[in-house]
Amino acid sequence: MNAKHNVKDLESIATRLRLHVVDMVAPSGQGYVQQGLGAADIFTSLYFAEATMDPTNPEWPDRDRIFLTTAHNTAIFYATLAERGFFPVDDLKTYVTDGSTLEINSSERMGPFVEATCGSLGQGLSVAIGCAIAAKRQGRASRFYVIVGDGEMQEGQIWEAAMLAGARGLDNLCFIVDYNFVQSEGPMDLVMSLDPLMDKMESFGFACQEVDGNDLSALLSAYDVARETKGKPSFIKANTLMGKGVESLEGLMFHQLRFPPEVASSARAELEAQL
Amino acid sequence: MSDTLTQLEAADFINRSFKPLPRSYGDALLAAAHNDPRIVALCADLVTPTETDRFRDELPDRFHNVGIAEANMIGMAGGMARSGEIPFCHSFCAFITKRVLDQITMQAAYPNLPVKIVGFLPGVATLLGVSHQAIEDVAIMRAVPNMAIFEPSGPEYHAAMVKLALDWDGPAYLRMKRPETTPDAIEPQSLEIGKGVIRREGRDLTIISAGLCVSEALQAAHTLAVEGVEARVVDMASLKPIDQGLILESAASTGAIVTAENHSIIGGLGSAVAEVLMDKGVGLPFKRVGIQDRFCEGGTTPYLMNKFDLDAVAIAKAARGVMQKKKG
Ligand SMILES: Cc1ncc(C[n+]2csc(CCOP(=O)(O)OP(=O)(O)O)c2C)c(N)n1
Ligand SMILES: [Mg+2]
Repeated sequence: MNAKHNVKDLESIATRLRLHVVDMVAPSGQGYVQQGLGAADIFTSLYFAEATMDPTNPEWPDRDRIFLTTAHNTAIFYATLAERGFFPVDDLKTYVTDGSTLEINSSERMGPFVEATCGSLGQGLSVAIGCAIAAKRQGRASRFYVIVGDGEMQEGQIWEAAMLAGARGLDNLCFIVDYNFVQSEGPMDLVMSLDPLMDKMESFGFACQEVDGNDLSALLSAYDVARETKGKPSFIKANTLMGKGVESLEGLMFHQLRFPPEVASSARAELEAQL
Repeated sequence: MSDTLTQLEAADFINRSFKPLPRSYGDALLAAAHNDPRIVALCADLVTPTETDRFRDELPDRFHNVGIAEANMIGMAGGMARSGEIPFCHSFCAFITKRVLDQITMQAAYPNLPVKIVGFLPGVATLLGVSHQAIEDVAIMRAVPNMAIFEPSGPEYHAAMVKLALDWDGPAYLRMKRPETTPDAIEPQSLEIGKGVIRREGRDLTIISAGLCVSEALQAAHTLAVEGVEARVVDMASLKPIDQGLILESAASTGAIVTAENHSIIGGLGSAVAEVLMDKGVGLPFKRVGIQDRFCEGGTTPYLMNKFDLDAVAIAKAARGVMQKKKG
């Protein structure tokens, strides 16, 4: 799809999404600003370029399905869904307010564009694999993209699922790890690093690529390669930078960065200048 | 942000400019660990939210953040307990019960080992939504043989939770709630295994409650008193073993019972109280306040307590209902 998309346009979409992230998290301090800014390019490349979907018919059975298994990364997820046309952008103002379906962890009560309720980490990859196997049997061309957290990969279920996907050669599956190197406690090596991750995934039967997860062209090329790979599931290690796009926040390795209003307004100004 | 700060210091500054929450459970566990070298703490990547950060910093050799891997944590705890240690395992209530139930039954409960299961975010009380809400954990854990269950009604009972867990020889589940704001200085209160606490006396009916619903029950009792109805309020912090004597005595002396819990009405405190009454052939006006066999959603605690009919208003309404039956 690379050639068909103007990367400059995608970049400005990503910046717009980042602005939403700041605006959504700032009022309450609830939400995950660092992860949202870091993953904005993954979301932009999947939802605005790679995946085939119809926001007017979110249940379309032949759609490509995107599973966000780190269901807490909702500021960027909801911003993406709204800008892509699944619900009004104005609804983003209700983020994490009482009674809103825009909860901090996404749940399918929002609508079918939340492909599964994944706030309990480690479960989404299995569901995506189930959908991918069903699509094969039903003769559908859909592809299945799963955005998994690097911390989340410590869950045993991820490895049960990965082993099966490799053993079955599920080539309609694309497992993307948002490798921001942070989990709840902080940097991952404080707790338990995944290294050597590429070797592990290779040995589980995946076709593996490592890309700069904040480089839209690189992400799009990686999806191209994945789509053309036959007989194996794909694994993309997307290295993302926490806080990407806001200089004062870039590289701050905090799971839940508390966000006072003055930081929010300077972040906002910085992003607006990029548009 | 000053140029002299490194990025990390700046972020730390940003984070610390918010007032830290208290650590009434975590500090009590740490104090106990200083006295008893067998105590170790395990955590599945939720250190601060389970108040174990000071434990991590002061006793690093006895603390293990095992990563986001709850099942492995419980299995490891079983191994440690077999080796003479007393492991306290920490996560959110939803993950440390439902996600690891088989490991709990086979590696902690069946061998009757002192594995202490400590969960935070009880019932509906969280912004984090359905995946993080444990509305069936008490029902599940109550059905596990050898397991004790304790739930504090406020931070003044948090230190007692640690003591109860240690007084119970086998596996125990603590259903903890982190205060959402820093409370005024608290006076620690004691608790006993298998004993409820009468928090308010009354002759007309008894409200048996636990956890977050205790303060709601006390508030309901206050409203009822204005209406001329005197409710006894029992804090059933020891959910299992439960205080059979107090339940039966309350039934006999007040003649009507309402139960109130931040949990499904199926299998929790209300069911436990009903079981005690039925087993002794006691029939009386009775009503369970709790989550009505449905899933919930995230939100602020007062909003959710109101929306799912767990608050003082709902308890008072149930009390009026049983009083009506008692009279009729
Ligand atoms: C089973 C389970 N255990 C613990 C948690 C609590 N939790 C929420 S996010 C998180 C850290 C996730 O880290 P990572 O997967 O790297 O996601 P990131 O925030 O970096 O995108 C934890 C431990 C959870 N949601 N589910
Ligand atoms: Mg991460």
